[in-house]
Amino acid sequence: MTRVRVEPLGADLEPEPGESVIEAAWRLGYQWPTTCWGQAECMLCRVDVIAGEEATVPQGADEELALRTRLPASAQRPGLRLACRLQVRGDGVVLRKRGVVAPGPTGAP
Amino acid sequence: MAVAPDRESGRGGVPFAMKDPLHVPRERYYDRAFFELERERLWPHVWQMACRLEEIPASGDFVEYEICDQSIIVVRQADGSIGAFFNACRHRATELAKGDGRFPGGQIVCPFHGWRWNLDGSSSFVFGAEGFAPECLDPDDLRLRECLVDTWGGCVWINMDPDAPPLLDGLAPVPAMLDPLGVENMRVWWWKEVILDANWKLAQEAFLEGYHTMQTHPQIRRGPDDEAPPQLLAYETYARGHSSFRNGTQRVKMTPDQSLELSRIFWEGQDAMTLEKDIRVMASVRDHPDAAQSFPRLAVDAIYEDAAARGIPIAPYGPAMKLWGGEVFAFPNYFVLPQFANALCYRSRPYGDDPERCRFEVWSLTTYPEGEEPGPPQLQGRYAKDDTEHWGLIPRQDFSNIERQQRGLHSRSFEQLRLATEWERAISNMHESLDRHLER
Repeated sequence: MTRVRVEPLGADLEPEPGESVIEAAWRLGYQWPTTCWGQAECMLCRVDVIAGEEATVPQGADEELALRTRLPASAQRPGLRLACRLQVRGDGVVLRKRGVVAPGPTGAP
Repeated sequence: MAVAPDRESGRGGVPFAMKDPLHVPRERYYDRAFFELERERLWPHVWQMACRLEEIPASGDFVEYEICDQSIIVVRQADGSIGAFFNACRHRATELAKGDGRFPGGQIVCPFHGWRWNLDGSSSFVFGAEGFAPECLDPDDLRLRECLVDTWGGCVWINMDPDAPPLLDGLAPVPAMLDPLGVENMRVWWWKEVILDANWKLAQEAFLEGYHTMQTHPQIRRGPDDEAPPQLLAYETYARGHSSFRNGTQRVKMTPDQSLELSRIFWEGQDAMTLEKDIRVMASVRDHPDAAQSFPRLAVDAIYEDAAARGIPIAPYGPAMKLWGGEVFAFPNYFVLPQFANALCYRSRPYGDDPERCRFEVWSLTTYPEGEEPGPPQLQGRYAKDDTEHWGLIPRQDFSNIERQQRGLHSRSFEQLRLATEWERAISNMHESLDRHLER
């Protein structure tokens, strides 16, 4: 099992094989910014990989295209990934993402 | 306004209706009005194979099924059941999903304004809801519109007509014929398609009879060159347009080497029904002491022994094995040709809005050892009808005739197809069932 740290919330997620970071978060009841719910379209789930990049699975074609074309140049920077496409293959990955909300007492997304 | 006499003569106002089972008016394959009548009265009211079940194994997996101007999304639900919805946003009609893929967040999201639905079709979010009059946002009215959906034979079937009979009634007797052959356990070995310049019915009619084999596929002709009897096959037609053929009681005696050679030609010629792995197993009994007398039985026994050793859930011995090497047609457009633990399947659909083009898909299915089934299949590709790299000799021979036939229909010399009572009854049976739909 691989562990991913999400800052500044300080959450630890454990994505299952083949599961993206946002899917792991949803499975555990976290809220994560999105309006396309996993289609690599809305860009709202994007994260900064601030450590452990070597333990991430490289971008696929759809994520690469979205990051290149669906963000203004001012928002583009190295280490940016889409949580709905980002998979990890080892420990040590640390992400920075504002707006992630821990599972609440209501459990409502 | 003058109306062509043929158009008026059909029952229920069906133009170019079937008058007898021996002839098919040529206009049924290219007439625009006939095509549009099919679009309105056939396709929205008939069960049709929408996708293979293994395409959508997990919750949120979807496949789009297109038929004429309609698009349906087939969605695996969280509880493992399957939903089918008309693919149109309840806001301003945008198609919600294209091709195939996943709704990983359990949400179907319109790419235009971000409206959302749960996998069961219930509305879950309207962006800027405060800007709408309440009557525009009635939850029941916002639900995605459903199709009937059911599964059989390793496939998902849909029907847009809420009053349609249950799937198994609509398909009868096809399921009862094929279930004993284990079609439910088969998975995709490969899946390809071709766009043909021919009506969807004309394309599939090439596969409703084995009568063409003698001339079209000389390499698989059985028996002496000067007598390749068409009565080797026994044809049956059923209610609702379904039909089948199978090997008849008359056999052509072949030596083990001739049998193996024919099997190899089938394998190389279409990589379906008989696969390379089967030939290896069959070859293992070539030198058996009884091979000269009973090679076919020994070969089948060997295939069963091999399946048992590998954990392949091949269906048990039984009378349904008589369908091996034959064909079962499920009206309006789906075929299963079983052989051993394998099958060849076809689906023919109109392509675009053109009565004279069709999208013809081919699946080669096989049965994998339990626990070793492959992941979701992908369409390998769309290949030209004469692509020697991607189509075997047998389908290329068939495709070639089909387009020439469509051209020939327009010949000023030609009026109607004439059909053999003994070999081609399945074709008129299909057309008669079609007319019953068009009359409604």
